[in-house]
Amino acid sequence: MSYQTTTIAGMSGLDAHDERSRQAQWQADKWMMSGALFLGSAVFGIIGLPLFLRGLALQLKAQKAGLTVRPMMVTLIGYLVAVDAALNSIGWALDMVAHHTLLARVFLMAWGNMFDAGYFWHYNELWIGGASAPGEKAWEIALLPLVFSMRIAAAIGFLQMKRWGHQWLIITCWFGVVAWTGYIANMTIFADVRYTGVVFPVIGWWLYDIFYITPFLALPYLHSVNREIFSH
Amino acid sequence: MNDQPISEQDKRRRRGLIAFQIVCYGYLLTMFLIQMYMYSTRDW
Repeated sequence: MSYQTTTIAGMSGLDAHDERSRQAQWQADKWMMSGALFLGSAVFGIIGLPLFLRGLALQLKAQKAGLTVRPMMVTLIGYLVAVDAALNSIGWALDMVAHHTLLARVFLMAWGNMFDAGYFWHYNELWIGGASAPGEKAWEIALLPLVFSMRIAAAIGFLQMKRWGHQWLIITCWFGVVAWTGYIANMTIFADVRYTGVVFPVIGWWLYDIFYITPFLALPYLHSVNREIFSH
Repeated sequence: MNDQPISEQDKRRRRGLIAFQIVCYGYLLTMFLIQMYMYSTRDW
């Protein structure tokens, strides 16, 4: 609909429309990026949500006003993936390299006590430190530097509507399928280690983790969206 | 641009991917149910 208006308005109108659209998108993105940074930190998530929602509202308003902004689906998937990857990264980075810090011992062991004894049982007793659950460290090493860092980069490229961002988001969503089928098999095989003595066994863990497991629901959309909109 | 064949192909692709996702989520649901069964029989 905005295309029609701009075509009628001619070149200068198109330029003005482009500029207004760019400004509106940037304004919305500033709020959403700040929100995503807080959300991705886990601990300050509660501050991030209203900031993010304010950005989302601004983008919706611009869209309703007829400006050419990023499709809502691209915005939601892009930020969801970025926040999901950031949350996984911060938790696992703490466990890998900062397992003796006060923050890790409070944050991760509280998580362990509530939902997953893999982060409580014999914590910091292996030579590598951190979680001692069977297989956990291997997942951290495989997924943190490869999948999650790639996923944040892909989400940024995707939000910028770049072709490589779209392609890499597809690749890392497929990584997500592999990661979660493997990780949940691990959780089930070693369920006695991970759920014994925790406050909310099984249901608590699933309620919390279902949000991380769902991003590969985006795959049918990503594979069938018009690739031409990712143009750079 | 010839949109018709692409959109038909995309439609089939999307359908295939949705079927694949049902398999994936079926597997995850099975794992959840196994864990729930274990939860009911163990002293966690």
